Amino acid sequence: MIRRRGDLVLSREPSARLVPWIIGLMTYLACLMLAGALLLSELLDQWSTGLTGTVTVQVMPVEGESAGTIDDRVDKLVRLLQRTRGVAEARAIPVPEIAALLEPWLGAGAPLEELPLPRLIDVRFDEGGAPSMEVLRSTISNADPTAILDDHGVWREQLAGLIQALGAVAAFIVVLVAVATVGIVIFATRSGMAAHQDVIEVLHLIGARDVFIARQFQNLALWQGLRGGLIGIALGAATMWALRHAASQLDTSMLPQVSLLAWHWGVLAALPLATALISNWTAKRTVVRSLRKLV
Amino acid sequence: MRYGTGPEVLREVTFSLAPGSFHFLTGRSGAGKSSLLKLMYLAHRPSRGLITLFDEDIATVPQNRLPLLRRRIGVVFQEFRLLNHLSAFDNVALPLRVAGVRDSTVRKNVRELLQWTGLADHMDARPPTLSGGQQQRVAIARAIIAKPSLLLADEPTGNVDEAMGVRLLYLFEELNRMGTTVVIATHSEALISRFRHTVLHLEDGILTVRESTVHRGGVSVRAPSQPTSEPER
Repeated sequence: MIRRRGDLVLSREPSARLVPWIIGLMTYLACLMLAGALLLSELLDQWSTGLTGTVTVQVMPVEGESAGTIDDRVDKLVRLLQRTRGVAEARAIPVPEIAALLEPWLGAGAPLEELPLPRLIDVRFDEGGAPSMEVLRSTISNADPTAILDDHGVWREQLAGLIQALGAVAAFIVVLVAVATVGIVIFATRSGMAAHQDVIEVLHLIGARDVFIARQFQNLALWQGLRGGLIGIALGAATMWALRHAASQLDTSMLPQVSLLAWHWGVLAALPLATALISNWTAKRTVVRSLRKLV
Repeated sequence: MRYGTGPEVLREVTFSLAPGSFHFLTGRSGAGKSSLLKLMYLAHRPSRGLITLFDEDIATVPQNRLPLLRRRIGVVFQEFRLLNHLSAFDNVALPLRVAGVRDSTVRKNVRELLQWTGLADHMDARPPTLSGGQQQRVAIARAIIAKPSLLLADEPTGNVDEAMGVRLLYLFEELNRMGTTVVIATHSEALISRFRHTVLHLEDGILTVRESTVHRGGVSVRAPSQPTSEPER
């Protein structure tokens, strides 16, 4: 609410200085949770629409088969896949790379050459033009009966369930933070009313309407909420920048590529406005309800 | 009138104030003068009885009309009740700002009144930096700035010297001549004898009237057991 003609400036009680910082911390948590929920939602969207755009073809070794023979089968499949419409890239994953993937489970120096390890082909599809999985599966098995197409469906479904749960938790925390913010504003407004009881009584007795008195507190709450919101969003933006910077240092080839979209940033940028409006509304409700108890 | 479950502070109180009349309210400390004024400026509701203010029964007035009634009442509180974080100017301007009066009118009227009350040099001063007498004059200025229909003053001359007390009484009489009904709670026999007006005397919760008035449309307070006839002049 904008200060109107005739509005008073309420004296600032010392405890009121803490309120924007507490709201700021709440907004910071809400910002991170909301960003997390939006990212997860985006990730889920990508996975559910198949936009991860990758499948893996496993070529199983046949007993007694030499390394050269399986290499030939893999090369044949790679060429087939590269010719398939909708496939952007098909690449046989080199054995040392497969060994590196297994190293966390088997340990360094494991005799991998003695194990019947399947060979892997990493397939990436054209954006928006992925072929039908059924057709691709059929094509591959016709070319090589030992080849198995893994579109990560089971894993993706399980992960989607996890992501949905995480997203729901994040959204719930955002709601809790909003409720906590309302509670903080109610507490701050009540303590402000107690500190300004004399002002309220005098205004009441000289004929001020409840909305006029409430507006004095709304003004204070509005700016406290806005300041808190800006503090929170600044901290949140700094944290997200730091996380993004840290993530850029990692090899992200195995991680999903997901980032906040423009409208996500818009939602986050609206948080200070939301905290200001929540504070304003809460202060009004608190003061008007308290004033109704007066004669 | 009683506070909580305590004894009745005011019991047999029946009187009417004519529009434009001037009254002193007297009685010993604890007699109920402040309680009676609180009933009249709508800070409390009577536990029983009837109060009619400007021809309206306050028990049946809708809640949203009470602020309008209060704006017609100027109050000088015994303990001043100035807002310490506001300047003298802003304190006096409060009733006008609450009523939504234009800033230019507020500035003009408040300056004039503060000059009249001898506070022209203290417009920007905060109440804690003013003397008791100056604070009292600010409180009086705040009570009369909106030219109220009813002025209620609780010991308004208690903190000023005799000369200033007399001057303030002349100010109240001036306001009274312009049509404002005035009730001044005081212990000062000197003022009562100097300014001859009707005296409402409270003792043991019972009100008696010396030099009563006959009128309509002002303020009426009636105990439930009392007859409805107005006191004779």
